Amino acid sequence: MMQLFRKQRMWRSHQLKAAYDVVIIGAGVHGLGIAYYLASRHGIRNVAVLDRGYLGCGNSGRNTAIIRSNYRTPEGIPFYEESVQLYRQLSRELDWNLLFSQCGHLTLAHTDSSVAGLRVRAENNQVLGVDSRVIYRDEIRRLVPAMDLSDGPRFPVMAALYHPPGGIIRHDAVVWGYARACDRLGVEVHPYTEVTGVRVARRKAASVITSRGAIAAGTVVNATAGWASMVAKLAGVTLPIVSHPLQACVTEPLKPFLDKVIVSATLHVYVNQTDKGELVIGAEIDPYQSYSLKGTLPTLEQMASYTLELFPQLSGLRVLRQWAGICDMTPDYAPIIGVSREVENYYLDVGWGTYGFKAAPAAAKNTAELIATGKTPKIIQPFSPARFYGGQLVGEKAAAAVSS
Amino acid sequence: MSFLIPCPHCGNRSVYEFRFGGEVKTRPHPDSPAAEWMEYTYTKANEAGVQKEWWFHRLGCRQWLQARRNTTTNEVIEAFFPE
Repeated sequence: MMQLFRKQRMWRSHQLKAAYDVVIIGAGVHGLGIAYYLASRHGIRNVAVLDRGYLGCGNSGRNTAIIRSNYRTPEGIPFYEESVQLYRQLSRELDWNLLFSQCGHLTLAHTDSSVAGLRVRAENNQVLGVDSRVIYRDEIRRLVPAMDLSDGPRFPVMAALYHPPGGIIRHDAVVWGYARACDRLGVEVHPYTEVTGVRVARRKAASVITSRGAIAAGTVVNATAGWASMVAKLAGVTLPIVSHPLQACVTEPLKPFLDKVIVSATLHVYVNQTDKGELVIGAEIDPYQSYSLKGTLPTLEQMASYTLELFPQLSGLRVLRQWAGICDMTPDYAPIIGVSREVENYYLDVGWGTYGFKAAPAAAKNTAELIATGKTPKIIQPFSPARFYGGQLVGEKAAAAVSS
Repeated sequence: MSFLIPCPHCGNRSVYEFRFGGEVKTRPHPDSPAAEWMEYTYTKANEAGVQKEWWFHRLGCRQWLQARRNTTTNEVIEAFFPE
């Protein structure tokens, strides 16, 4: 019991060493996750995780913390399902409460064609063992009595894809949990250490130049989100990525009235109520490429008006904060995981668009396995960086940013 | 409104009147090998800084134009019709 009140560092700070077996750029869920699985599953502990800001200052702390696996493609579904399964036992594994609540997830359909799309997803999900089915207004009303299910709105709700294992997790806690576990396994976590260059000789990365000095690296991993193209460019690696901002906001707290995650692709909005009572509302990606993290008024207006289409009783509710994250969008809405084409010991875990947080444990575990064994695990083979040049795109059209 | 684009025909207009058309790239020769076309189709510089890019003024003059914009600040330096 006294342990609860004892001040203990979750991770320690270190001087940079001259060399590491693995240098991971980006200390978010992906970077820390890769380090954790390298150390815990493969015994590779001479690892440094670098970040230019504080831990989880990028998209790990900017996403809307939704976890689900009801994707559409046979490549995507098992991958995101593995992630949900890893998240389910992660609190126990890291001995750190991640407040994972599998409260259920509803994707709404407002048109005949989107009902058809949801049916395809439900069939694909069920074949691959994911709990997911199409439900109609009567059942939606029982699950979410607060939502407007009348014919009043401009786009009335017709059906929903109900995914009971979907839910919400405390995203910062995942970052901290991984960082703490990394520290205990001997991995070094280096916040405020910006990578400014990568020295490449004969198609191999030799060292990483940082704002705190140069370090030799056996393997370099790019696990950044938002700036993946710019970080890759330091090593001469090019990527098929266009970065767009995605904005979200949080309202003042209300008493609990909504215990499901609500997503509408037609209205480009997703809403959930946190344990604190605040509503977290996310928008579609902004319609232009940008690295600007400033919130904009048109997007705020969209988030508010579309939320009111679903919950008109919320008019008058005040917004506390609005923010943006930068999403690295790939042409097929699927990530890029594997060895880069240009540099043979430079690994990529990038292109995470709007789905990076929910995929982090599966991506990190499999990337770690790839680094440790040199063999690409089957589940991440479809996401290889080479796929764009062999004409084998994945086509994951159930990502949040897609208005399918 | 997040930022304005000075359309060479219509003047300063909200970015929401335009459709973003991506960074300006050089189209390969039609006889170029497939790899070069794949590179052209998919690989992006995705510049953090000033880049030249395409915009279509869909709610205005309905013409394609090019702009030089700083992608970290969204400051549009100039907009012009391509030669």
